[in-house]
Amino acid sequence: MKTLILGAGAIGGYIGGRLQQGGADVTFLVRPARREALARNGLVIKSPKGDVTQKVKTVLKGGEGGPYDVVLLTNKAYDMDSAIEAIAPAVGPNTALVPLLNGMNHLDVLDAKFGAGRVAGGVARIGVALSPEGEIRHTSPFAAFSVGERGGKPARPALAEFATAIKKAGLDGGLHDNIVQDLWDKWVFLCTLAALCCLMRGTSGDILAAEEGQAIVLETLEECRKVAAASGYDPSAQGLGFARQSLSQKGSLFAASMLHDLEKGSMVEADHVVGDMIARARKTGVATPNLRLAYAHLQIYLARRARGGIGKPAL
Amino acid sequence: MDRPEKQYGERQEVKILILGAGAVGGYWGSRLHQAGIDVTFLLREKRAETVRKNGLVVKSPKTGDAVLPVKVVTKASDGGPYEVIVLACKGYDLSSAIDAIAPAVGANTTIVPILNGHMHFAILDGRFGKARVAGGLARIGGMLGPNGEILHSGASGVSFGERDGSPARPALVELDQACKKAGIVGGLNPNINQDLWDKWIMLGAIAGMCSAMRGTVGDIAESEEGAAIMAEALEECRKVAAAEGYPPSDKVVDAIRTSLTQKGGKSVASILGDIEKGSAVEAKSIVGDMLARARKHGLAAPTLRFAYAHLQTYEARRARGGLK
Repeated sequence: MKTLILGAGAIGGYIGGRLQQGGADVTFLVRPARREALARNGLVIKSPKGDVTQKVKTVLKGGEGGPYDVVLLTNKAYDMDSAIEAIAPAVGPNTALVPLLNGMNHLDVLDAKFGAGRVAGGVARIGVALSPEGEIRHTSPFAAFSVGERGGKPARPALAEFATAIKKAGLDGGLHDNIVQDLWDKWVFLCTLAALCCLMRGTSGDILAAEEGQAIVLETLEECRKVAAASGYDPSAQGLGFARQSLSQKGSLFAASMLHDLEKGSMVEADHVVGDMIARARKTGVATPNLRLAYAHLQIYLARRARGGIGKPAL
Repeated sequence: MDRPEKQYGERQEVKILILGAGAVGGYWGSRLHQAGIDVTFLLREKRAETVRKNGLVVKSPKTGDAVLPVKVVTKASDGGPYEVIVLACKGYDLSSAIDAIAPAVGANTTIVPILNGHMHFAILDGRFGKARVAGGLARIGGMLGPNGEILHSGASGVSFGERDGSPARPALVELDQACKKAGIVGGLNPNINQDLWDKWIMLGAIAGMCSAMRGTVGDIAESEEGAAIMAEALEECRKVAAAEGYPPSDKVVDAIRTSLTQKGGKSVASILGDIEKGSAVEAKSIVGDMLARARKHGLAAPTLRFAYAHLQTYEARRARGGLK
């Protein structure tokens, strides 16, 4: 089985590096500068699960080095157009596309472009960032990657093999028989965390220090749960319990990476993570007053960013 | 107080002490000083030294630049007695401000606090007696420059008066005359409580929303729901004012709403500047107390609730040293 990974950023670099360590045939589709850096330094992973530096295969065009059985997408949602353009030449009749993006909207976009039959579901759960030196810095105690067919049908051979490779690489996750539920479970949690860390500009622990912080967290989680339920994917009690617990740790420094993006003045997945949840809430008649304020905050950030007003005094 | 009979054309002028020489008190005092009014600034040692050495430096595109050799004391017991003490400090500095002015407060002293919100009144009344504490507010735009110079911009109005609606005591009438002589807009206001509420509802909305949304009025208006959210915050504040017995007129509310929902609007609450500098903020006196009063009256204030949670989150993060 041959896997192509678009980009060698935080998530793509981590899963690709681990898959290769487990013996998988992995190629990274990268830009020239990244290719040069990887050729010079190798792919460097720093992780509580072990550091590693490896030589990796890279290509500059999707049409090179194929055909590929699996193409993995780990881009940000706002880069989807250029991602699609980059991978299109690598997608053949038997290629399984496995996007590891947040939210759900990317699936519609990929279906429309490549046909729903090619597009599997995938969920990444990992805290990882790309350092300025180009190293993959894994910080969370967990690193889990789930994949599966969206219709609940048995996994096509390429996907089953990919899931086996995940296991062989020592990663958690693997084949999931209800990957769409898993996507919703993650989205419900992430949307709550990202919406509130950004709206309040603090970590989950900072938010809990406000008198109404805990109440606001639980309300927001409930808004997201209702949207998932109204869409046919009510999260399990266990999943919700986990979300509630991890968002209720007083003093916790746990925060959404979107908050770091905001504070760096970077682009944010506002539409994909929060805006689309609100759009689905409207479609299903669910009220989301808390998400509305969070989305306004993100749009206002983007407006201020667009006028060049980030990092300059507001006064 | 026995006053000598005043003869025509000759008035005994009010003697004024101003606590601090920040953007608001400093600007107001500088204008009074320029008009020949007897003004003294009560300053901390370091600030006093700078002002004694360099004068009080004011830069204003509207009223001109000036370097003024103003009177300065570092102890309130010096240079008095004062008939009027102007208290222009931040809400979170009130208790140290009270300690600083206390020695200057005598039987005939009127304190004119220029603070945001209403929380300071109970504290000042408790300390100095209600009769000594007038109502006051300033609509003066500006900030302090890096060398302590007063950078004035925008509005330059003041408003003060008796809180119980009675005819103004002589000290306030004289302060009014002093302001008129200095060309300051506003002055004595027979309905200062209404004016305080009118200002507070505007401030509650703009400070709450510029903080929670981290943008200017114009940035907020750029988002799909921004103008609606701002208008909701204002409406929550208006309902609180009405429940407290000070319903703002439609004209006032409309004018505030228009200016706070303006596309491309450059106005912004100074609290956002404080947040972005990592400074202390008047969260409780501007937003928290408005929310507390909404609750007291059984009013829903969902937008203010978020604004206050945002400010408290900021304060918690600041307290743990978590602002980069």
